[in-house]
Amino acid sequence: MPESTPGLEVRNLTKRFGNIVAVNDVSFEIASGEFFSLLGPSGSGKTTMLRMIGGLETPDAGDIFLEGKKITFLPPEKRDVNIVFQNYALFPHLNVYDNVAFGPRRRKWPEDKIRREVTALLEMVHLSGYEEKYPRQLSGGEKQRVALIRALILKPKLLLLDEPLGALDLKIRQALQLELANIQYEVGITFIYVTHDQSEALTMADRIAVMNKGRILQVGTPKEIYEHPVNRFVANFIGNTNLFEGVVKEIAGQDVKVDVPGLMELWGIASENHVAQLRIGQRIAVSVRPEKMRLSRVKPQKPGYNLVQGVVDDLIYLGVSTEFLVRLPNDQVVRVFAQNISREDELWSITWDEPVWVYWRPERSLVLADEAPT
Amino acid sequence: MTTATLSHTHRRHRWRLTFQRYLGLTLNIFPPFIYILLLFYVPMGMMFLISFWKSGYMTLEPIFTLDNYITFFTSPIYLKTLYNTFIIATGAMILLVIIGYPIAYYLARMGPKYTYLILFLLIIPVEINFLIRIFAWKIALGGNGVINSFLMQLGVIQEPLKFLLYSKTAVMIVLIHEWLPYVVIPIFLSLRGIPQSVIEAARDLGSSRYDIFRHILLPLSVPGLFASMVLVYIPMLGEFAVPALVGGPSGYMLGNVIESQFLSAGNWGLGSAIGFILLAITLVLVALVIKIAGVEELL
Ligand SMILES: Nc1ncnc2c1ncn2[C@@H]1O[C@H](COP(=O)(O)OP(=O)(O)OP(=O)(O)O)[C@@H](O)[C@H]1O
Ligand SMILES: [Mg+2]
Repeated sequence: MPESTPGLEVRNLTKRFGNIVAVNDVSFEIASGEFFSLLGPSGSGKTTMLRMIGGLETPDAGDIFLEGKKITFLPPEKRDVNIVFQNYALFPHLNVYDNVAFGPRRRKWPEDKIRREVTALLEMVHLSGYEEKYPRQLSGGEKQRVALIRALILKPKLLLLDEPLGALDLKIRQALQLELANIQYEVGITFIYVTHDQSEALTMADRIAVMNKGRILQVGTPKEIYEHPVNRFVANFIGNTNLFEGVVKEIAGQDVKVDVPGLMELWGIASENHVAQLRIGQRIAVSVRPEKMRLSRVKPQKPGYNLVQGVVDDLIYLGVSTEFLVRLPNDQVVRVFAQNISREDELWSITWDEPVWVYWRPERSLVLADEAPT
Repeated sequence: MTTATLSHTHRRHRWRLTFQRYLGLTLNIFPPFIYILLLFYVPMGMMFLISFWKSGYMTLEPIFTLDNYITFFTSPIYLKTLYNTFIIATGAMILLVIIGYPIAYYLARMGPKYTYLILFLLIIPVEINFLIRIFAWKIALGGNGVINSFLMQLGVIQEPLKFLLYSKTAVMIVLIHEWLPYVVIPIFLSLRGIPQSVIEAARDLGSSRYDIFRHILLPLSVPGLFASMVLVYIPMLGEFAVPALVGGPSGYMLGNVIESQFLSAGNWGLGSAIGFILLAITLVLVALVIKIAGVEELL
């Protein structure tokens, strides 16, 4: 993040609806030009967050700054922020051209400038020749692109997108993800992209904020969030993970020895912040991603590795990889991904009910807090 | 050729589908169709025929003539009545829209809690027998009526306002009262059908309150607006009870002429002819409204 004023700063923002705290004391900063994603399950407060930034909802507490200027209570028509709505919200009585020209006309741009800009934007999203069509004559993907350029044409400092691809099927969604990312790069406008699809956030965003129950649990690059989730919720929500419930036995620097009752003693690492709060005897969870674990028929000679024996419960062939579900002695089932590299691979012939060894390096197991460490 | 055979069977298949669909449709619409035909179009066809028959006081001969139509279009009194009818119905409709639109607008913007209560209150008076309603208006509008007495008591006027009863104004007032809910409800429904997100999108793109009304709410309520206009304009053109009771000579409408031709003048031929002239004018006006508003496109 640059040292200058951030593109957007949200400070202690809170919004209640009756008893529900939709957004609970949230703070974060976004750099100008960043592709920022708000990721969280349904009802976590993403839309409410976005609507407050867009001016469609008034916060109960906290402040919003756009390029250093406070905009907390500015009405939407006075903010340099535009929204792409979840259900597109195109104007049904206007054709594509007039939909896109709606904003500029309210701002009294000269018609010839409007024509130039609309034409250029339609071309950018491959909709030249669609000027005269009405929204009801467009496919979902086409509507989506019209909604996007209708908001982009005003060149806002910040564009808010609320699950813009949520209603589309996978193929179109993937194509549009790429297109959106390219457009964002081209126009250089800051994007806040709301989604509950973790893979979408991972592919598109520069940084992700993971939300749950009105709070932001973690903000970071996709890699940071995937590799170093701060708590159990984040680890589970982003990608798949195996969780071992246990008790802290020993702490050596950032290395933590954990006793998983009825299974094994394993070594993991905790983040610098977290390790300071850990105590011997504390109940914690350890997360290990399926692709960080390895399988072997024979007991591997890997000193220092975490090692446990189990039985193959099920296996799912996925083309590039195979997913093994291995039942451990404590009846817990862990997932292990293995690349399908060659037919000579010893894993190739592993099948149901075979005993196997599961092993992984200690630094691949993360000791997690229930709440994000402060 | 395979392709030829394929396309041949394909065509035959399609034809059969079309036939089945057509047959199904016919069977479905058959009973209502017969009903409408027997109860409306057969009598109307007979009336249409009669309008070209030689007709006088209590006489009707099946001899083709255009006399009935000629009589109407050459009589200054009938033409004047046609003009009155047009003025009253159009005036009432314009006022209905001016009064009804804001009511519908506020109803649509109000919380759902009171919307239905107010709609209910709006509809209740219409459910009262219309003769009672008209007489109530007579009492209100008359020379010694509530309105005149009240205004005189206040000293606003010295003499009773004569134009309040037995005038075009009186007919319009009563018609407006009668038809207001029919104007409000379609407009209300079309306004309420506009998604909140569309309005928010308009705000987000820089619309003032006026812009939202002018560029979003108004155009999107046009179908409701025209539906309500057509809904009330046709019956108002054919109105006869209201002008008969509160209209007086200057509030006389074409409906009264038709009624008297059938019931007192006994001239069925002329009555039918005037009826069809009114129908023709109505149809032309409705067609015009649909054309201007492009309602087919919006419906
Ligand atoms: N206008 C409102 N009135 C009452 N409660 C609301 C309102 N808007 C949102 N909420 C509540 O606030 C919480 C957060 O809602 P929000 O729409 O922000 O979630 P979200 O993260 O966008 O979910 P989704 O992924 O399903 O869109 C929910 O519990 C919701 O029921
Ligand atoms: Mg939402």
